[in-house]
Amino acid sequence: MTMTIKQLNKSKTPIVKINKALDKLADKILFPEKLEEANRILKKVGLPKTKRTTR
Amino acid sequence: MKHEIYQLESDRKLLLFEFSSVGPKGKITKLVQYMETNLNNYYNLGFGDRDEKTGEINDTVITNNGDSQKVLATVASTVYAFTDKHPDSWIHVKGSNTARTRLYRIGITNNLLEIKKDYHVFGLKDDQWHEFRKGNEYQAFLIQRKK
Repeated sequence: MTMTIKQLNKSKTPIVKINKALDKLADKILFPEKLEEANRILKKVGLPKTKRTTR
Repeated sequence: MKHEIYQLESDRKLLLFEFSSVGPKGKITKLVQYMETNLNNYYNLGFGDRDEKTGEINDTVITNNGDSQKVLATVASTVYAFTDKHPDSWIHVKGSNTARTRLYRIGITNNLLEIKKDYHVFGLKDDQWHEFRKGNEYQAFLIQRKK
């Protein structure tokens, strides 16, 4: 599906250029302390309960 | 929420985004990484500068490149790109220090109406997730795209 320029301008999703050189870096943990902290919070607090809503 | 943002590049899975901040301090490479945690579909958002000489990533540096709003808007825009590709994911966001977490809270607060059209937003307070409300301090944030 193609988008018109008008649709593109209204879209909240940014235009992202794919750079294959980033593939290798993406597999590495670049922010280990943050990830550890997220895991700690997840283990301790869990996830919130959400109600299913539609946009 | 139509702020000016920097041009983004990403890996093919849309897990790592790169952009360049341009200002008085020159051109600074920024990285935003969505890294899956121990729980399936639960990602942590990491954000920091990459030193082009050493390749080191620093998420505590204060860049002061005069473009903090544009940088924050660019990071926020990656959430849309990421959740387009990974719509069922949860995203955990926490600043590297209290000031930065507060900056994220202000960013969410200032765009809350717009954000809530598309996302569930929660704040961590007293070891519990609460629906994000203006005026409350939170230690971390959790967001999920609405279905």
